[in-house]
Amino acid sequence: MSPDRLIYMANQIGKYFESQHRQNAVDGIADHLRKFWDPSMRRTISAYAKNGGEGLDPVVLQAVRALSGVGPT
Amino acid sequence: MPLIQETDYGTPVSKAEKTVTLTIDGVKVTVPEGTSLMRAAVDAGIQVPKLCATDSVAAFGSCRLCLVEIKGRNGTPASCTTPVAEGIEVSTQTERLKQIRRGVMELYISDHPLDCLTCAANGDCELQDMAGAVGLREVRYGYAGENHLDAAKDESNPYFTFDPSKCIVCSRCVRACEEVQGTFALTIDGRGFASHVSAGIDQDFIESECVSCGACVQACPTATLMEKSVIDIGQPEHSVVTTCAYCGVGCSFKAEMRGTEVVRMVPYKDGKANHGHSCVKGRFAWGYATHRDRILNPMVREKISDPWREVSWDEAIGHVASEFKRIQAKYGRTAVGGITSSRCTNEETYLVQKLIRAGFGNNNVDTCARVCHSPTGYGLKETFGTSAGTQDFDSVTEAEVVLIIGANPTDAHPVFASQMKRRLRAGAKLIVLDPRRIDLVRMPHVEASHHLQLKPGTNVALITALAHVIVTEGLADEAFVRERCDWDEFQDWAAFVAEARNSPEAVSAITGVPADAIRAAARLYATGGNAAIYYGLGVTEHSQGTTMVMGMANLAMATGNIGRRGVGVNPLRGQNNVQGACDMGSFPHEFTGYRHISDDVTRATFEALWGVTLDAEPGLRIPNMLDAAVDGSFKAIYIQGEDIAQSDPDTQHVVAGLENMECVVVQDLFLNETANFAHVFLPGSTFLEKDGTFTNAERRIGRVRKVMPSRSGMADWEITVAISNAMGFPMHYAHPSEIMDEIAELTPTFAGVSYDKLDALGSVQWPCNEAAPEGTPIMHIDHFVRGKGHFVITEYVPTDERTGPRFPLLLTTGRILSQYNVGAQTRRTDNVVWHHEDLLEIHPHDAEQRGVRDGDWVRLQSRAGGTSLRAKITERVAPGVVYTTFHHPETQANVVTTEFSDWATNCPEYKVTAVQVSPSNGPTEWQSRYQGISEHNRHIADAAE
Amino acid sequence: MPFEIWEDTRAQAIITAHAGHEGAMLPILHALQAAFGLIPEAAIPLIAETLNLSHAEVHGVVTFYHDFRRELPGRHVLKLCRAEACQAMGGDALGARARGKLGLDWGGTTADGQVTLDAVFCLGLCATAPSAMIDGRLVGRLNEARLDALLEQAQ
Ligand code: SF4
Ligand code: SF4
Ligand code: SF4
Ligand code: FES
Ligand code: FES
Repeated sequence: MSPDRLIYMANQIGKYFESQHRQNAVDGIADHLRKFWDPSMRRTISAYAKNGGEGLDPVVLQAVRALSGVGPT
Repeated sequence: MPLIQETDYGTPVSKAEKTVTLTIDGVKVTVPEGTSLMRAAVDAGIQVPKLCATDSVAAFGSCRLCLVEIKGRNGTPASCTTPVAEGIEVSTQTERLKQIRRGVMELYISDHPLDCLTCAANGDCELQDMAGAVGLREVRYGYAGENHLDAAKDESNPYFTFDPSKCIVCSRCVRACEEVQGTFALTIDGRGFASHVSAGIDQDFIESECVSCGACVQACPTATLMEKSVIDIGQPEHSVVTTCAYCGVGCSFKAEMRGTEVVRMVPYKDGKANHGHSCVKGRFAWGYATHRDRILNPMVREKISDPWREVSWDEAIGHVASEFKRIQAKYGRTAVGGITSSRCTNEETYLVQKLIRAGFGNNNVDTCARVCHSPTGYGLKETFGTSAGTQDFDSVTEAEVVLIIGANPTDAHPVFASQMKRRLRAGAKLIVLDPRRIDLVRMPHVEASHHLQLKPGTNVALITALAHVIVTEGLADEAFVRERCDWDEFQDWAAFVAEARNSPEAVSAITGVPADAIRAAARLYATGGNAAIYYGLGVTEHSQGTTMVMGMANLAMATGNIGRRGVGVNPLRGQNNVQGACDMGSFPHEFTGYRHISDDVTRATFEALWGVTLDAEPGLRIPNMLDAAVDGSFKAIYIQGEDIAQSDPDTQHVVAGLENMECVVVQDLFLNETANFAHVFLPGSTFLEKDGTFTNAERRIGRVRKVMPSRSGMADWEITVAISNAMGFPMHYAHPSEIMDEIAELTPTFAGVSYDKLDALGSVQWPCNEAAPEGTPIMHIDHFVRGKGHFVITEYVPTDERTGPRFPLLLTTGRILSQYNVGAQTRRTDNVVWHHEDLLEIHPHDAEQRGVRDGDWVRLQSRAGGTSLRAKITERVAPGVVYTTFHHPETQANVVTTEFSDWATNCPEYKVTAVQVSPSNGPTEWQSRYQGISEHNRHIADAAE
Repeated sequence: MPFEIWEDTRAQAIITAHAGHEGAMLPILHALQAAFGLIPEAAIPLIAETLNLSHAEVHGVVTFYHDFRRELPGRHVLKLCRAEACQAMGGDALGARARGKLGLDWGGTTADGQVTLDAVFCLGLCATAPSAMIDGRLVGRLNEARLDALLEQAQ
């Protein structure tokens, strides 16, 4: 699936979790992606993040990188 | 079932707690204080003759037929208007009363045509019954005098006639229109002998303010107001209680039948969602079931450009199974998926998700709720712990402040709107948050205290500003918050909303709503007593739809407006079974009862019962399936009763996705727009042709009962079973009740639900289990389902869809009363007389700037695409905002909408699209081309071909 | 009595002037009739919108009261009482006579615009029934001769 749309969606999710003071944004984003994105979408965004992840907001990039570590991808 | 005759108690029930005991015709009876003598008599098993009284409206006392005598009192008071009193002795049958009654009846009958034997109401006429009841044998006056016998019939309404020659001017219709429906479309014109019923200003019904709800027809004791279908077909002979298949109110109806033909649908008084009321859709618009456009045979084709070939069920099902297996073998397990329908029954949606999870072996299942209320599920689950509204509909009768956000109940949820209007007429205050001036802002006898006419897309900024006022002015209910919510979180949230940038003064610039209006509305919500929020798609269909849902939940928690009657946060669901489809595990990430598929314990129970290993990873959502199809990794889809090519955003993208698939299976009543891209068409069944249940917006599970055999030979659940069996994952159900038993076994919130219980109680609201055997009308009473209520920071993030020089206007969308969703059913009924095309509402100022006159064709263009439709100039929309509905495929309104969606759920941002409007000559090229494709792709080969 | 020609904005001004009060409908109707001589159908949506009522409700009130005219009256208006006391004293026969002579039904106006015949229900003059009113002037103890004189005078 084309990464453009995924980048857009991931950044949208990122904005929400960044605004939640009491929760760590990186964990929140990673958790959301794990719960709601199908594995192929996560694989695509992870691969994209590995290649620099241009366009992903910094917290989102961190979260996506955290994703690749844990859970099935 | 034989024809159900519901008891008419004559006057409405009294809610008083104190009781009174009296004697009627020697029978002792105890009733609540304030009950009429007439109603008390019915309780005692005695029917007092009556004409002008009926229990849906307050007593009027005009016909003088119901007179009684009370021992020790003079005169003959009317039993309908006389309340009970302790110890009195009432006689309903004395020689004197009989004579008076006979005299009254004689007068009525002398001005009434005596064609009872050929009258359509013969056998269902109270005048006839009463003439019999009072023993009237002869009429002394004759017809020579002045009479109304040649008054002309009004047949303008497509569904009922008004024949004034049969009218006894009892004004039951006038009062029903006022009290039950709240439209006030009828009046008595003139007085004395000249008096007659008048719709509007002595107009035809169709030209008047009448919205065709049918309440007057229901209330009329004679054949004056009469369903045309009864005139055509004749009086029904048996009835079956079932649930309306149109909107999320879920009205209960008696389908009154002659054999397997529906004569009429009559709202059922025992229906707990509608209490005997209806709207034009459920009451009258069921003709689509027998419309000639219904497809009744399965059809298959190689390519979508081929004509359809009618085949046997075996061949069609076999073809689907072999194609899905072939595609999975070639492209992988996850290359296929399916969509469940919010219009099908719970049992049917349950089976489709079961087929996908267990039979296809992946979680690529989604439902059309994706495009409407998915943010509700996420938002309310986060904050309260349950993905559903908190109240029953009746709760509104105890609300003192009603806050409507992004919903238009009089059009989209008419029967609930009538109930709400009744409460508003009784004094509750109303606040409306909507970019458009919906009817409730001001209509006869209803007027909003505040209409916050915000710019589309700025909901979250506004809700946070309301919270700002509540927090900074000390209006929060601290005791409630301390007891029920997470106090630290609350403080954090309070600090956030209190920031100056969230003040009404600051937010006013974003929303376009004056700061003092925001302040006043917030104060009213927080301090006006029980305050209830009702909301619709104007909340959810935004890039911040989920955030807004949580913003409303915050507001309710902060003010303690949750956990009792009269308060709460309530989604008004669009389609009849959106709630049910969501409950049934239609989303790719969760099982029935909203349990995440990664939860090992839950998954194990499903695996044990279904005998398969299930995937623990979430599947694709509809937009993701389409993206994947465009990319070539998603190849086949099974679509149960949905029209994604018309109802989903960015039509051209949807079409591109569908065109790229190898096997598109559409199961529906009609060749819908999506079917233009299908390879297999499986004819579905209407709600009249199957058994099952629907769950309405108040979590009420109601029975759908089969009244006629399936016209295509298979109910939708049977089709899914057949596919599953053919794919090698056997399912065995003899009846939908067995499917419900399985759902109950697997779902804690449904554990106590069974068809037996539904038959006994009529309906139940989930959670229904050991803790709540009769269901749960109000949720979160002592504690939130999730434990402590969860406050969420609602930072406003403007949508990326912005106006600019090329697209200076904001388009927002909605629906109207007589049409339903994409209109596949309502367009195939006489409801088209009210709405035969989609119109673009535009403010006079914007219209003038563009040289657009009322009724002109205009081109509506966004960066996604363009379409043409006619303009309607109105001040309902603010300058800078245009509005349209999406009921007609020719309009292709979703060609214009964009791919933007809610951050959490991908619910499309239907409510905000930047557009330009310009004069045009007619349909656009895309519309014409699409029309061409669509005609071609609908072609069904002749048997000979 | 010369009346103003109906005009929406003028009518709206009259309606708005009376709208604030409880039970504003009757004062509005009277004021409109005083200004224009009638309550045309065009008045109904304006009143309904201002008072937040339905068209039907306003129509119901307008037609309930015999006082409110839907058409301009003639130069002279003769009102005959049809209520109980006057009926008992032979009011019905006088009514029939007046209708016959003018060739009108109740509420009608002669073709030349000269006379309008209206029914009223009690003029508060029951003691001298049957009663009538011509151009606002009360007439008691009506009989055939006096009625004929009134008619002649009006025509
Ligand atoms: S159909 Fe409904 S809206 Fe129409 S006149 Fe009857 S009660 Fe009123
Ligand atoms: S139409 Fe029916 S309900 Fe209405 S006044 Fe006539 S008889 Fe009564
Ligand atoms: S309100 Fe909804 S459920 Fe009720 S009759 Fe109308 S469409 Fe059907
Ligand atoms: S039923 Fe009581 S007066 Fe008509
Ligand atoms: S009855 Fe005619 S004046 Fe009173």
